[in-house]
Order: sequence, then C-alpha cells, then structure tokens
Amino acid sequence: MNAARKLACVVLLAVCAVSLAADWLAPSGYAKQFREVPSSPPSRQHLLGTDEIGRDRFARVLYGTRISLVLAPAAALVSTLLAALVGGLAGYLGGIWLRIATSFTDLFLSLPWLFLLIAVRALLPLNVSPLSSVLITFFILGLLGWAASARVLSASADSLRNSDFVLQAQASGLHGPRLFFVHVLPNLKPILYAQFWISIPVFILSEANLGILGLGVAEPLPSWGSLLRELEGLVSFREEPWRLVPLVLLIVVLTSFQLVLSNNEEVTA
Amino acid sequence: MNGRRAFSELVPAKDSYTRVILSGAATSRSEVAAESKDPYFTRNASKDSPVPRGFLLLLLCLALLAAAAYAQGGGELRFCLRNEPKTFDPLLVDDDSSLSIRYLTGGVLVRANRKTQQLEPELAESWRLSKDGKQITFKLRHGVLFSDGTPFSADDVAYTMQRLMDPNLHSSTGDAFRSGTGAVTTLKLGPDQITVIFPAPIVELDALFDQVAIMSAHSPKKEGAVLGPFLVAEYKAGSSVLLKRNPNYWKKDAHGHRLPYLDSIHLDIQPNRDVEMLRFKRGELDLINVLDSDYFDKLASTSPQLVHDAGASLDADFLWFNQVASAPIPPYKRAWFRSTNFRRAVSEAINRADLSRIVYNGHAQPAVGPVSPANKFWFNSRLHPEAHNPDAALKRLQADGFHLQDGTLKDKDGNAVEFSIVTNASSKPRERMAVLMQEDLGKIGIKVNVVTLDFPSLLERISQKFNYEAAILGFRNVDLDPSGQMNIWLSSAENHAWNPQQKSPETAWEAEIDKLMRAQASASDPKKRKQSFDRVQEIVYEQAPFIYLVNQDALSAVSTSVEGANPVILHPQTFWNAERLTLNANTRASR
Amino acid sequence: MNDGSLLSAQVTVRYPGKPPVLRGVTLEIAPGEIMGLVGQSGSGKSTLALAVLGLLGRQRATVEGRIWFQDTDLVAMRERDLRALRGRSLSLVLQSPLASLNPALRVRTQLKEAWRAHANGTSADCDAAIRAAMTSVSLPADEDFLRKHASQLSVGQAQRVLIAMAVLHRPALLIADEATSALDVITQSEILQLFARLNRETGMSILYISHDLPSVAEICQRIAILHEGEIVESGPTAQIFAAPRHPYTRRLMSSLPHLPTRTGEPSAAQAAAAK
Repeated sequence: MNAARKLACVVLLAVCAVSLAADWLAPSGYAKQFREVPSSPPSRQHLLGTDEIGRDRFARVLYGTRISLVLAPAAALVSTLLAALVGGLAGYLGGIWLRIATSFTDLFLSLPWLFLLIAVRALLPLNVSPLSSVLITFFILGLLGWAASARVLSASADSLRNSDFVLQAQASGLHGPRLFFVHVLPNLKPILYAQFWISIPVFILSEANLGILGLGVAEPLPSWGSLLRELEGLVSFREEPWRLVPLVLLIVVLTSFQLVLSNNEEVTA
Repeated sequence: MNGRRAFSELVPAKDSYTRVILSGAATSRSEVAAESKDPYFTRNASKDSPVPRGFLLLLLCLALLAAAAYAQGGGELRFCLRNEPKTFDPLLVDDDSSLSIRYLTGGVLVRANRKTQQLEPELAESWRLSKDGKQITFKLRHGVLFSDGTPFSADDVAYTMQRLMDPNLHSSTGDAFRSGTGAVTTLKLGPDQITVIFPAPIVELDALFDQVAIMSAHSPKKEGAVLGPFLVAEYKAGSSVLLKRNPNYWKKDAHGHRLPYLDSIHLDIQPNRDVEMLRFKRGELDLINVLDSDYFDKLASTSPQLVHDAGASLDADFLWFNQVASAPIPPYKRAWFRSTNFRRAVSEAINRADLSRIVYNGHAQPAVGPVSPANKFWFNSRLHPEAHNPDAALKRLQADGFHLQDGTLKDKDGNAVEFSIVTNASSKPRERMAVLMQEDLGKIGIKVNVVTLDFPSLLERISQKFNYEAAILGFRNVDLDPSGQMNIWLSSAENHAWNPQQKSPETAWEAEIDKLMRAQASASDPKKRKQSFDRVQEIVYEQAPFIYLVNQDALSAVSTSVEGANPVILHPQTFWNAERLTLNANTRASR
Repeated sequence: MNDGSLLSAQVTVRYPGKPPVLRGVTLEIAPGEIMGLVGQSGSGKSTLALAVLGLLGRQRATVEGRIWFQDTDLVAMRERDLRALRGRSLSLVLQSPLASLNPALRVRTQLKEAWRAHANGTSADCDAAIRAAMTSVSLPADEDFLRKHASQLSVGQAQRVLIAMAVLHRPALLIADEATSALDVITQSEILQLFARLNRETGMSILYISHDLPSVAEICQRIAILHEGEIVESGPTAQIFAAPRHPYTRRLMSSLPHLPTRTGEPSAAQAAAAK
C-alpha cells in the first residue's frame, strides 16, 4: 500500500465519517432557513456561509455528501451490472444475440429521453417525500445509464469469446453461465471498473439536471447535484471561494476512490 | 417556443381579451415576450402626480443640456433587441421587437405617457368621444410631414383605419377595436378633422389609439414613410436594425429645437443575456431594457449608478389551489382547497416580506391582488398585502375543524394536511419562493412537497389534466385596463386557472365577480367601472382563489453616457422618451 | 467401432460458402497410441482437432461423416453429451500456453473449474486431484504456485499447467494441437518427454498435431500426413521416414535441415518408436 493510497483511504474514511456524523457536526438542519442572513459569507455560525435562502451551506454539504456518496455509486453499480449482463452476455454469445443486443442498445441510446422522462414524471405521484424522491432519482439513473457501457462491454466480450482460453475452457467441459461468469466476466473487470467510475460523476450531475423535469432530489433535501447547480450563477471565484467547496469535495472524493481502487485492480489482475 | 405554444393553448389567438399572459419564466421574460401586446392607458388619471421642485430644476438642466447636444448632433444610441423583429408593418405588430421599433418610428394620434400613465395629444391636437362610446373625432395637427416629405392629413387617418380594420389583414391591433359586427367607417369633416365610427361602443376607445401608428395614404414608400421620431434606415436580418433621425419629425423641445436629439439608434439582435450584459459593461451598449434581478445585483455591486429599479411592475406571481370538481385528487383535499378559510389561512401563513426580500433581493413588493399598486388608476388603495400572521391562520383553520396534532395539521376527519406545489423549473425565483413557503407552512403543521416541472408539462397539468394540487405561476400583465383581465375572472374563462370554463358559476362569489366584470366592461363612465373593479379586487382578496405573492420590480440598466433617461415600469421602460435622450459629449467623441 | 480402435474418424468439414477444409479425412488411433498428425499451417490440422471435440459450432462449420470414439459417433452426438466427454475422456492442449490460460484467474481456480466441470466432491477431493495432476506434470503443488496468475508463470510452466488441466480427469485421448511449437528447444523437448511419460504411465492415447516433423518423430508411433485437407499418407513412423510415398511427404522430408548432429535422426526416431 503506497502513501497516496493510504492518504486516499484516510480521506475517504474521513469524508464518510463526517457525513455520517452530520447530525452531530452540522450546526443546524439542512433545511433550516436563517432568513435574516441569506447569501452570507462564512462566519463562526455558518462555516461556509449561507445559500440564497439562508440555509447553512456547511450543513447542506454534509447532508448532501451523505446522500450523493451512497446513492451515486449505488446507481453506478446498478447500471454497470446491467451493462455487464447485457453487453457482456451478448458479446460472449455472439452471432444473432450480439446483433440483437447491439440494435437494442443503439435504440435505447437514440430514444428521446427527455420525453420519456417527462412521461415517467407524469406517471409518478406529485406528493413524493423528499427521501423517496432521492431513491427514485438514482434508481432511474441506474436504469438508464447502462447502454453506453454495454456497447463498450459487448465489443470486449466479443473478442474474449474468440480467445484461446475460452476455447481451452470449453475443451475442459465448461459451458453456459459457469463459463461466462468464471472465464469471461472477470476479464471484463477493468472495463467495468472504468465504466463504474465514469458513471459516478455523470450521475451526480445528471441528478441535478433531472430536477428540471421534477425528478431530481426534492427540496429541501440537498445533494451534490443541487449544490453544484448553485455554482451556475457564481460571479467570481475569487470573491466567493467558499462556494467552491462542493466542487472541490467532489473532485477529492472521486480521485481518492480511484486511487484506492486502481491499486486493488493491479493486485487482482 | 414553449411559452408561445402554451399561451395559444390557453387563450384563443383572436380573443380580444388576450392582454394577460401566463408567464412561464420570471427569469426569462423573452419566452413570453413575443405574445405581448401594447399596453393601453386611460386618460382618467385619478390625480396628477405631484412634481417636486427639484425635478423641475432637473428638467431645466436637461433641457439646456439637450439644447447643447442638439447643436452638436446627438450621436448614436445602442441597445439590444432580444428577438428578430417579425414585421416592420406597424399594423401587424405582434412581438416585442417589432413593438419597440413601432414605438420609435410610428406617429400616433394620442400617446399614453409611460410615466404619468395619462393620455397626451400627439398628431391629434385634441379629440372628442361621443356619449354612446361609438364615435371619436380627432382634430389633427397642422403642417406635419411624413419622413419622406408627404404631408399628413385626415386622408392618412382614414386610410390607416380602413386598412387596420380590414379582416384580411388579421391585425391583432385591429382586434382590439372589433367590438361588434359591422364595418368601421370614417367621416372626414375637413383636411384636419376626422370622425371614426364604430358599430358598437368600445371601452377606453381613445386609449386604444396609442397603438395605431398612422400610415401614409399617398406615399409610394408605404410603411417606409413614418411620422415618429426615427425611421428604419437599414435592416440586416439576424444582426441589426439601424434607425435614423426623422428629419421631418414635428415635435420641438421647449427651446424650439427639433426633436429627436439623437442622430441614430443602433439595435443589435441579441437573444443571449450574458452577451448583452458583457457588451453593456464594455460600453458597447447604452441600455438594457429589462434586467433580471440577479443580473441587476451583479451590476449594482460594481456600478450602482448604472442600474434602475423603477419599483413594482404590473407582473405578479401567485399561488393557487386546484378547485376543479373533476380533478384527479382525493375528495378531502378538494374540500380543503374549496374552503375559503383554508386558502386565507395559507395566505396569512406566507411571509411575503421575506419572499421579496430574500428571493428578489428586495426588487419586488408584497402583492395585494390582481392589480399592481403601479397601476395608478385601477389599484384599489383600500387593500393592503395580507399580513404574515401564523396565529391568525391557525385560528381560521380551527374554524373549519382543522387542528394541530403533534405538530401536524389534521383536518376534521383526521387527514394530515399535505399537498404539493408545482412550478416551472426554469424559474429559480418561483422555486425559491416555494421552498420558503414550504417552511412558512411547515410552521402551521402543513407539509408541502415542491415539484418543479418543465413548462409544457406544467401547463398540461394545470389547464388540461388538472392533475395538480397547488401551483405557482405568474400572469404577465401588459395592460392597465381591467378589460384585459376578463379572460381570468369570468368563471367561464380558460384562464380562470383554479377552476376554468365553468358552465355556470359554482360559487356565489364567482357569480358576483362575473357580474361585476361584465358591468365594468359595459359601463362607459370610468368612475362606475372603477367601482366595479374595486369590488372585484376586494372579493379576490377575501376569497383568495389566487394567493398573490409579489409584484416584481421593473429593473433596467442605463449607461452614464445616456442623458435624459428616466426608466419607468411600462414598456418601453428605458426609451419611452427616446426623442429626448442624448449621449454625452465624451461618448459622442469616442464613437 | 470396428477393430477396437479408440478413435476412428472419416470426416469432411466445410465452412459456409467455401470448398471443404477437410475432404474425407480418415484417421484411426489405437488405445495407448501416440499418433502424429503432420501438415503445414492451413492444412486443416486444427480444424480436425476441433471437429473431434465438437467445437466447430462457433465457426458455423458443418461436419459430415463419422467420428467413432469409444464406440459412439461424436458427429451425431448431442452437444449435452459431448460436453460430458470434453475434458473428461477427450482433452485438448493448445498452441500458445499463456493465451490459453485465463489472465484473470489463479492457477488453482483454473484447475478447480476444470475439475468441477466433471466431478462433484469436497474441496479436499478437488485439492487432491489438483495436487496429483500437478505432480504428474512435475509442477510444484504448493500454495504459492497455485495462487499465481498466468502472467506470473514461465511459458513452460504455463504449458505444464495446461497439460495438468488436460489430464485432470485421466482422459482416454489427449489432443495436443501444436502444443510445443511456441516453446524454445529445451522446453520443447521437456514437454515432449512429459507427453511420452504420461502416455507410458497412464496409457492414454495422444493425437499429437504439429508442423514440426522431427518432434513428431520423437514420440509418435504412427504418423499421418495432412495436405490440403486430405490425408496423403499414413503409417508407422519408421516406414514413413524410410520410404515416403507421396510427393508431398517427400518434399517435407527433404526440407528438413541437414545438420551434422541430426544425421541419422530417422533411425533414432525409429528406435524410439520401437521401444
């Protein structure tokens, strides 16, 4: 374990611990509005200042981290597994299956998502508690995010299918799911990892965009997505550097995750 | 454009009452701007506004400056149009950009002063309305020439009216004059006197002429011959419009100098607000006519001298509950929404001062009702914004059998009070207001869920499926006269948002509003009309079908290089007095 | 199915839209025999090997004819039954040892999977089988070695692992398709010795496919020469070397390098075959 990885572990643990301890660490709830001091700079009461309607930014970052840090990877996991199943299996089976899966994936990618999401919103009830809204949001992201990864995976699985070791395994009498899960899937792992890590920031940001369709994390619950969306109107980073905290946090956490996991990969591969 | 489609869904295009617009986006007015029609005015100002002595002094100074400026030539004023002008034919104007160009180039018989909101003689030295409200007689100004030198006479008025009312022209300006079946005729009493006769009485007939730019009956240049202060000299599609000074413009300043002072006006067609702001900051533009509050504050933080807050505008945002009988919502919720006490309690629980202070940074005023206090004549000054009073709200709710239980409000059958508020995602201010109200209402035990939707979905829910509980939207009021609000208040109207298109009024108060609105529309005596509409405002206040939240301020930016600017709340906010604007000497030298 | 041979094939194989790759190829292997199949690359050697194992389906090739193996026709056999044979009675060792081992798996996992394909037993049984197989191919059976990935093995070790996998269930026939071609001379000779030893010790038959005549001669009792999809000549090794009848065989013989040390090689091979 090298120094960078150790540091990354420490950072991740610290971020997790702090966000889990939000109930004790946060000076106030994420929804409490300090209406006398909206958009205020950092102070002793509000370590990161307050947002446009006077909510404590520090508390919102803590709670937002808790939500995004759990749910974005969960959604990425769902989408990566779906991609592995659809893309990996199709590539491995080859022939007609690969063609069917490729056209299905292409169709899925070319669907007018905006309209489908609007339809999804129309099907869901309006009175959804903020917490359920979070789960729905990330579930939708997970379900929708698989197609691009599946494409990459089916190409790799296709080349694995023709590899010597798969032939060798078949000659040893292996077949069916066993052959796929033992011999094909582990070799897709590096690609799966890559797809997984690419998905997380994409999902965090998509969550913010889903808010436009009434599907995102509902107010007053914070998320990294909604915190990042607040940066849109930022005039000058120099004047309000504390507002960059969510962005910095996102970068730090993702980098740490990657450091920790890339090392694992080297050992197992 | 979303707004346009949505709008046409709500309001039939040929309806003569289409002067109120459901505004989808407070932050991006241009979405709906294309639908706006000319405001029109009343000559019946309640009182002259007192003019401070300092103001007179200022006017004097300005006049002197202007005189000096005239001597040297007034320079070129530059600002942006947000959209391509759709027409240069003054009788076909239907969009904001064309409206601005018509304002700057067209000569009208009477002009509503944008500041005083009163009618002033323009090409007509005076006018007279007949008792029955069907006829208007103008006495025309002598010796006026069109920009190409053609003389102006009663022929031109007759020609313009005839063309305007031609059904084949499909002029929406003309629609305002279509009161009944039958032809509009003109009667020339002499070269400078003409009577226009309508088949049926028209409310505020003279004010409507503010929108009728007179065209020449004889000039071969057609709409190229104008009577306004400027003429269209050059048009580059998609890029810019250049207006030049009309050398034959009739108006003179106090010193006898011919107006306008400016040599030309350069209008860039620029839909992007960031670019507009950037170019304004660089000094390449002199005006920003309509400014959003966040841009306003950004600019104010560095250059407070450039921004102008003209006070509350006619636009208002409001919250309403779905009272449609067939709406797919639980019956017990419909019962809440149909309860006057419930609506009033919600209204009382909302802290409007916080809404305007926090969401609009103070660039909005707590709203009273359908008429903004900015509408000097029609506003019912006996009414005041609902005071923030959670205790009174709870008392009202108790009267209806609601009670607090462990911090949750329950109705008499024990249902916890929870509802969703939908609003359009493109409007940050509305979303923020919703979140503030979420907390306000939380304090009286009501749970609110905020849902932001894209505008088309939102409109579908509130106007077709009625699948919503409460909504926040705004009407963009482009009209001072209450006639423009008929399509909201009549219970049969489509924009009667809380319960539209009723066969017959479902409640006594809606029936009374129907009666009062019809009364004001048929009366010709302004005092009687005001009496009726004052009562409408009171009923709306008491019944709170719309819970009015705030009136946004009219915000604009004017460069220090412009002299004589005096931004107002009515369109065209910054250049309503364009013929008297000048650029200072330094700016002229540098251009 | 006639004279007690282990494998008796007479097949024609074609890929869609092309002339047949194998035309009426006949091949017989007796129990306990090491049979050599020699031919240039592209002559259809590997196709024959895959045809025997029934693994040509992927390439959408069609097999006509009969392949009798232990009194059953493999061509007519259902895939399900074929699977039961593959790795148990019939096993395969491929040309490039490193590519034939799954890069993502440890040696143990690889062997375990191969064992589980045909055996139900405790993990102790499995470990014992693995250890036995490893020992039989002269590889260490310790934990350190079994935990290695393919990338951590030498080519020779990798090939031995593959052979260990192939002999795990003591098959009746092992098909070695160019199994030594990718190896250096010393390793190659070690592996050849290993094949010879396994044949001697377990009595399993080996179909040794190669383009390399000397190595074939070293361990095979009989040789078949495959040329352009047809067997042009077959017979005992000594006989072929002594009197090649077909022009292609003669060309093949004459292309052998005539190194001083290799002089008289055929006779040495004959001697080995006679043993």
